[in-house]
Amino acid sequence: MAIPNPAVDKVPTGYRYGWNDPEMKSLHVMKKGLSRETVEEISRIKGEPQWMTDLRLKAYRHFEARPMPTWGGDMSGIDFQDIYYYVTATDKAVQSWDDVPDYIKRTYDRLGIPEAEKKYLAGVGGQYDSEVVYHNIRADLEKLGVIFLGTDEALIKYPEIFKEYFGTVIPANDNKLAALNTAVWSGGSFIYVPPGVHVELPLQAYFRINTENMGQFERTLIIADEGSSVHYVEGCTAPAYTTASLHSAVVEIIVKKGARVRYTTIQNWSHNVYNLVTKRAVAYEDSVMEWVDGNLGSHLTMKYPSIYLLGERAHGEVLSIAFAGSDQHQDAGGKIIHAAPNTTSLITSKSISQGTGRTSYRGLVKVYPGCHGSKSTVRCDALILSDEARSDTYPYMEIDEEDVTIGHEATVSKVGSEQLFYLMSRGMNEAEASAMIVNGFIEPIVKELPMEYAVEMNRLIQLQMEGSVG
Amino acid sequence: MTVQASTALDANIVRRLSAGEPDWLRALRDAWWRRVEEQPWPLSTEEEWRRTSLKDLPRDGDLLTDAPRADYEIDPALAARGVVFTDLATAVREHADLLQAHLGRLDTIPAQTPFWARSLAAWSGGTFLYVPKGVEVDGPLIASTSLPGGSYTYLPHTLVVLEEGASVTLLEELASPDGAATWYGGTADLQVGYGARLRYANLQRLGDAVWRIGAQRVEVGQDADVTTLNAEIGSKVGKMGLDLRMSGKGGTSKLLGLLAAGDDQHIDINSVQDLLASNTTSDLLYLSALYDQARAAFYGVTRVRSAAKQTSSYQECRNLLLSPRAGAEPIPVLEIETNDILRCGHGATAGAIDPVQRFYAQSRGLSADEAERMIVRGFFERVVAQINSEPIKARILDALVPRIGATDEMAA
Repeated sequence: MAIPNPAVDKVPTGYRYGWNDPEMKSLHVMKKGLSRETVEEISRIKGEPQWMTDLRLKAYRHFEARPMPTWGGDMSGIDFQDIYYYVTATDKAVQSWDDVPDYIKRTYDRLGIPEAEKKYLAGVGGQYDSEVVYHNIRADLEKLGVIFLGTDEALIKYPEIFKEYFGTVIPANDNKLAALNTAVWSGGSFIYVPPGVHVELPLQAYFRINTENMGQFERTLIIADEGSSVHYVEGCTAPAYTTASLHSAVVEIIVKKGARVRYTTIQNWSHNVYNLVTKRAVAYEDSVMEWVDGNLGSHLTMKYPSIYLLGERAHGEVLSIAFAGSDQHQDAGGKIIHAAPNTTSLITSKSISQGTGRTSYRGLVKVYPGCHGSKSTVRCDALILSDEARSDTYPYMEIDEEDVTIGHEATVSKVGSEQLFYLMSRGMNEAEASAMIVNGFIEPIVKELPMEYAVEMNRLIQLQMEGSVG
Repeated sequence: MTVQASTALDANIVRRLSAGEPDWLRALRDAWWRRVEEQPWPLSTEEEWRRTSLKDLPRDGDLLTDAPRADYEIDPALAARGVVFTDLATAVREHADLLQAHLGRLDTIPAQTPFWARSLAAWSGGTFLYVPKGVEVDGPLIASTSLPGGSYTYLPHTLVVLEEGASVTLLEELASPDGAATWYGGTADLQVGYGARLRYANLQRLGDAVWRIGAQRVEVGQDADVTTLNAEIGSKVGKMGLDLRMSGKGGTSKLLGLLAAGDDQHIDINSVQDLLASNTTSDLLYLSALYDQARAAFYGVTRVRSAAKQTSSYQECRNLLLSPRAGAEPIPVLEIETNDILRCGHGATAGAIDPVQRFYAQSRGLSADEAERMIVRGFFERVVAQINSEPIKARILDALVPRIGATDEMAA
């Protein structure tokens, strides 16, 4: 399923990308921990221009100076000095398939994932780490002038366009974790869609954490030029297994006049990962930006995809779905900033908590003075499946303009006993009936997913429900 | 009425206040003053204090120790049945046993504690209402206070205690002249026992330079039924913390609010509806009409504890923006720790008058101003309609006129 990128060979660095042959010697595994030297070393290994080295160091200073956020989830389990900040290929003994937890294996079986791919997803087959080696640039895309590369390569191959946009949406000092990403980023996708070009098929890239205790700090930058459109899909619904890790990505998107971008993520990290991600888009005149954000895995996720509506009539949407089982906290949501007149936005959040799981919707709608005619609707629904589960809703709103229509609504409910009784009277068992109700609950978001993801999502929900009721 | 030349708020003034008071009260004031000294001043990083800066709070004024006393009129027949309706200082002299049992016994949420503690340490006025077991008081009791002008600090405390099965309606009305930078830090402790029924309204018409930093704590006992209404009309900066504890099984509460703000008024409400017991119901409805550069912030938390089963709650905050420079920050938060709930939700809106409504009203011959007045009055109706006492409704509608203008109903 992975196709090596022919562009790789041309990258003027001291190492090679590619599938890791188990006999292959490690090329670059830096020791654990973070320091100024680590940051400089990463930049040196990658053969980066000076401005990027300087930016990384500036970001590192900011990361050091800034305290950890005190809101959201419990991040006390993160030890920044116990993380690998840069790994390419490794000669570490790969984990044995026997070490992969049963629940992950069971999930692969139920999802019908082929044997080889299972091992790859579980991190025990051929593996690839921080660097993205899986890019399938179709010839026709190239003909259209679409650039779709790993972010590292893009920096080398397209330095001008890269420098023009990198870090403009999420500056190095935006927040502590974005600063960390800026200091040590590696991998991710770079996409440029020229004016008027419509990319018909979703572009996809898979990111994986495969080395034990290895942080993943990918950096994605998408530029949709005037009148263009693109749909990018990150991650997949099958669980990605790792023993302990921090995932702290930054995604920046620029949607120019009349353009349209949809960014779909379904994260299903194994239940020990801290998933702390900054995602932000700027949307200019008459453009449309949509985040479809699914959070199923991880121990703690804190992620609030945001959209700055900077041009008149720009439209932003966030569709957020979160599922928290025992020992999981999904703190997710979305932010919309109305900074131009007649801009519109919609946030729809569906969250489900089960076992001792906790879901939190955290969102912001802000309307600046002068943004007349702006409209925003926020709709949050939560389903609590067990007595010990928890659901929170934190919807922030700051409205500084009169001529607007801003609304927020939320409901919290449980699976009704009448609903269950009805379905069970039709011959379903309780788990099947609950799964059907939950699938109905998330339907408005699932129908927005590419078909194969929607199918997997429904199966996953069914799987999560088994043994959870009664 | 003059303001006595006394000292600013510190340990000395608290000691002077308690001179001549019974030992238990002196000890109580001391204990709360220690809380004042232990509890840090609110930080702007605290969620409840992020939207209101206390930087310009006039903290240096003298403590008002000879506050005007409201008229506490009560039917002698009720007094004979044990109902007490008087000012707190009189109650100390005449009903020490009741006060000793109920005054200053309860803590509030951390965000409000600095002000709750100051008021319990340094109160020099306030209302005491006690309704004994099984006594139902018909008609509203009204405590109306007109404060003097001046740059003083006044921290009265109101204590309302309803014993089992008691029933009463109370309006506290506050007014003060414009132009005086007063710190008004009144607090209220409403303790509603088993099966009791309380209707409590607070009509705030303080002057345009007053800083009102208030706190209300409501304890709703088993099968009790409480409605509170805060009508916020005056003050320069108004901050009100509502701490509602649904601690008895089967209790019911409604928290209602009407905010009519203009000029550069800043009104900030924070609320907690803490559903601690099963089968409780708690609804909140706050409506704001915001003119000129007025700004309303609302940060409300509905917390359903894991032990509280089969509860029903809703939180609703609606803001009508009537000027391009008005602003609103409604933040209704839910924290739900159980799945065994009947109903839980919230809604918040902010926006201008619907142009269709305005067009309709004007097409029926109303001027633009008349149309706006009628629409604002209609917007408030969902709260106004829930005021069952006609005298209270009339006073509140009357108080709204200077801000929202008169409609025929109000003028009549």
